[in-house]
Amino acid sequence: MTAYTEEYRGLVAQLSGGEVTEAFRREVAALVGEGGLISEPAQLRTYECDGLTGYRVTPALVVLPATTEEVAAVVRLCARDRIPFVARGAGTGLSGGALPVADGIVIGLARMRAVLSVDVADQRAVVQPGVTNAGISAAVARHDLYFAPDPSSQVVCTIGGNVAENSGGAHCLKYGFTTNHVLALTFVTPDGDVVTLGGDAPDQVGPDLRAVVLGSEGTLGIVTEVTVRLLRRPEVVRTLVADFPHPEAAGNAVSDIVAAGIVPAAVEMLDELAIEACEKAVQAGYTLGCPAALVVELDGVAAEVDEEFAQVQEICRRNGTTNLRVADDAQERARIWKGRKAAFAAMGRISPDYFVQDGVIPRTKLGSTLTRIRQMSDEAGLRVANVFHAGDGNLHPLVLYNGAVDGEAERAEHLATAIVELCVEQGGSITGEHGVGSDKACSMTAMFGPDDLTVMARVRAAFDPQGICNPGKVLPTPRLCGERPGPYRPHPLEAAGVIERM
Amino acid sequence: MTQTDDTAVVERPATVAEAAELLRGTDGPLLFRGAGTKQRWAGRPVDPAVVVDTTGLSGVLSHEPADMTVAVGAGMPLADLQALLAENGQWLALDPATGAAGATVGGLLATGDSGPRRLRYGALRDLVIGVTLVLPDGIVARGGGRVIKNVAGYDLPKLLYGSLGTLGLVAEVVLRLHPVPQASATATVAVPVDRATELALRLRASALEPAAVDWTDADGGTLAVRFEGTPAGVEGRRVAVLDLLGAGAGWSTGEDEDVVWSRLADAERSVGEGTTVAAAGTRPSVTTDVARALEQAGAAAGVRTGLTSRPALGLHTARFDGSPEAVGPAVAAWRERVLALGGSVLLRDRPAAVDAEVDPLGPPPSSVGLLRSLARRLDPSGRCAPGRLGSWLPAPATGEDLARS
Repeated sequence: MTAYTEEYRGLVAQLSGGEVTEAFRREVAALVGEGGLISEPAQLRTYECDGLTGYRVTPALVVLPATTEEVAAVVRLCARDRIPFVARGAGTGLSGGALPVADGIVIGLARMRAVLSVDVADQRAVVQPGVTNAGISAAVARHDLYFAPDPSSQVVCTIGGNVAENSGGAHCLKYGFTTNHVLALTFVTPDGDVVTLGGDAPDQVGPDLRAVVLGSEGTLGIVTEVTVRLLRRPEVVRTLVADFPHPEAAGNAVSDIVAAGIVPAAVEMLDELAIEACEKAVQAGYTLGCPAALVVELDGVAAEVDEEFAQVQEICRRNGTTNLRVADDAQERARIWKGRKAAFAAMGRISPDYFVQDGVIPRTKLGSTLTRIRQMSDEAGLRVANVFHAGDGNLHPLVLYNGAVDGEAERAEHLATAIVELCVEQGGSITGEHGVGSDKACSMTAMFGPDDLTVMARVRAAFDPQGICNPGKVLPTPRLCGERPGPYRPHPLEAAGVIERM
Repeated sequence: MTQTDDTAVVERPATVAEAAELLRGTDGPLLFRGAGTKQRWAGRPVDPAVVVDTTGLSGVLSHEPADMTVAVGAGMPLADLQALLAENGQWLALDPATGAAGATVGGLLATGDSGPRRLRYGALRDLVIGVTLVLPDGIVARGGGRVIKNVAGYDLPKLLYGSLGTLGLVAEVVLRLHPVPQASATATVAVPVDRATELALRLRASALEPAAVDWTDADGGTLAVRFEGTPAGVEGRRVAVLDLLGAGAGWSTGEDEDVVWSRLADAERSVGEGTTVAAAGTRPSVTTDVARALEQAGAAAGVRTGLTSRPALGLHTARFDGSPEAVGPAVAAWRERVLALGGSVLLRDRPAAVDAEVDPLGPPPSSVGLLRSLARRLDPSGRCAPGRLGSWLPAPATGEDLARS
C-alpha cells in the first residue's frame, strides 16, 4: 500500500511561489522600516538554519516586524504574491522547523519581546512571542507564580517557539505541555487576517482551534500574542539523584514509583556516557562511571511531599541503588538540574559530532528498548548516550560520531532514524517534544497511515490553501521522501489556470 | 442494527469499519449520539437523515495499567470505564455531572463537558492523547497516539474537544489516567458570592492546591473546597484551610463529603423540562459580577434564576425558570453583561420556544472564518449536525455542496 492518497498528493503539491523582487523588498521596508529588514547575504546566512544545523537554506529576505499589525501586513504581501514565509523565534528548535524556504522569507519575532500584562488574581499573563520561556517566569516570580513548561533551552527559547512546538520539558509528566498552559492566542492567518483563538473563558464554543494551532510548528499561521496560564509555586520541592548498577534497575524503580500512585514532578535518567559528558561540562556532582542515574523530583504540599519522598527513597533502595544524593537546598537542586539540562550541549566534550534524537515509548517498554538501542549501537560501531524523561517514556538518545571520518555521519544518521522507528514499533511516537519539522517529515509515514495524513493535509489546507506558510514541514513531501516521481497529475488550481508548476 | 426514531433512521455500528461504511453509504444530515445527555446543548441541528448511535462502540481497545493509559470505543459510558479502572487503583480524572446519567467518553470529548476536579486535573482536552475520527466521506483517521508525550502531527484529539459533532464522528479515544487519590476531604462554608470569589482567588494564590472549588447560590450560598492526596497531605491542610475560610467552616470526609458534592451536582443539572440552562465562561475574578448580572437579569424579566460556579476556574452554570418569552430576554441580558466582562454564554437544555427569543450561541468569534474553512475541508457537504453551531456554521441549502478546490 502506498503511503499517500491521491488527495494528499494534491493537497501538498508544491505550487509555484512568487519571487522576492526589489519591489517586494521596498514594500516590506515601507511596512517595517529599513531597520526591520535584513537582505545582506552575509547577514541572511545567520538565519540559514535553527538548532538542527545539518540542513541549511539561505532565505531571500528576513523581516523583523515589531507589532501584530506589521506581521499581518507582511503576511498579506506574501499571500498576494504567493511567497512562502517561515516564522522564527530564537532558532533553538531541534527539528528544522524554522528552516527557511529558498526564495521565501523568514519572519523573525525577536523584536516582539514585551510582557504586555500580568493578571495576578487570574494567574495569567499576555506576552509577545519573542519573550523567552524563562523570561515569563522571571516576570511573575515576585507573585509566587511561574510558567510550567520548561524545555532545556528555556533561557533562550521563546514562547512563540514553545507554542509552535508544543514544548514540554522535564516537568511535563505532572504539569503537561505548552498546550495545557495557553489560554488564548492572537493569530495571523496565512491570508493576513488577525484573529483570536481561545479567550478569557477556559473553553470556547466549537472545535478547539487554539489546540490545533498549538504544536502545528508554524504551518498554520503566525502567533503574535500569547495568553499563558501561570501556576502558583508549590510549597515544597524535593529532589534526589539515585545511582543504579544498571539501567533496568533504574527503570524498575520508576515503575514502582508510578505503581505506588505517586506522580512525580519529574523523573529523568542519564546513562554512563551522558553522565561523563555532563560532568566534563558543568561538574554537577553526578557519579562518574555510574551506569544509570535517576533524578526524581516531587513537589506540592509539604506533608504530602515528605511522605512520598520517603517512599521514593525506599523504592530506590529496594531496587538496589548504590548512592542516594538528596538535594538539601535550592542551590543543590539547581546544580542537579544544571547537569541534566546541559546534557545535549555537553556531548561536545566527549565526541566531535552528535545527533540528538527524540522518540517516545510506552514507559513499560523502557528496559527492552534500551537493550535494543545498545545492540543497534554495537552493530553500527557508534556510541549512543542516553538522556531521557523516564516518567513519560521520552527518550533522547545522542548518537555520537566523528564527521571527519568518511561515512560516519551517514551511519550515525541512519542509526538515529532506526532508533526512532524502533520507538514507533514499540507503540510510541517519532517525537515527544522536538517536533517533526524538516527532520522527521519523512518519518511521519512510520506513524500515520495514508488517511491520517490526508486529514492532516485537509486541516492544513483549511488554514493555508496556498501552501505558503512554512511549507515542507510536518507533512511529508512524497518526492523528498524517497519516492520516485509518479505520473504527472495537475493540481486543481493548475488545471483551473490559477497557478503554474515550478 | 437499524431502527427508526421519529423520522430519522438510527444506526448503531459495532465497529469503526461499520461506522465508516455507514457514513460513506448514506446522504443527508448526520447526528452523532452517545447516551444523549447533551443533545440539547448549543444550536438545534436540523432533522437528521441518520442518527449514529455510538453505544455499540463501547469496548476497551487496550489498557496498560502500568503505562496509565487506556484506549476505548467512544460509546463507552464514563461510569463503566471508571469501574474498570478502579480495579487497578486508577481513574480518568474527570467528574462531570452527566456521568451519573450515562455520559459516554466520546460525547464528553465532543462537548467538552467537565466537573469540579477540572481545577486540579484539567479538562478532557488535557487528558485525551489519541483519537480515531470518522469523517462523513467514510475516511477513518487517527490523530495523536498511545503515549502521553507526543507532538507528531496536528493535535486532532484536542481539535475535536468541544466540536459538538460538527466535524466528524469520534469513534475511539485514547486517554491518560491518574492514580485514585488515597484520601479526600472537603471544607464547606456558607458565604455569598462576593466572599466566595475572594476565597477562591485566595485559595488559588495559596500553596494549598485545592482539587475543586465550587459555589452554589442555594441556601444563601455555599462554598465547597475539595482536597485530595495522601492521608497526611489532606489532613495536613485542614488547619490552614479552615483558618483561610473563616468562622463557620466545616470539614467533611466519607459519606458526608459525598453528600456535599452530589448536592452541588444536582444544582448544576437541569431540574425539569421547563428549565433553561446556560453555561458561561469568564476570568475567575469576575465571578461576583457574573452572579450579580444574573440576579439583575432574572429580576428584570421576572424569571427565577439559580447559579452554580467554579470560581477558581471561571465556569458558571445558570438556571432560568419562567415562561420562554421571559427567559429569552433574561438570558440575552445576562449574556450581554458576560460578554462585556470578556466571557461567553452558551445555551444548554431549554424548552424549544426559548430559541425564538435568544441565540443559543451568541455572536461569532473572530476566528469563525477558520472554523468554516475547516468544516468545508472535513465535511464538505455540511452533513455533521448542521445547525448545531447556529449561524457560525450555517447549514447548507438543500443540494448545495460547500466543497471547493
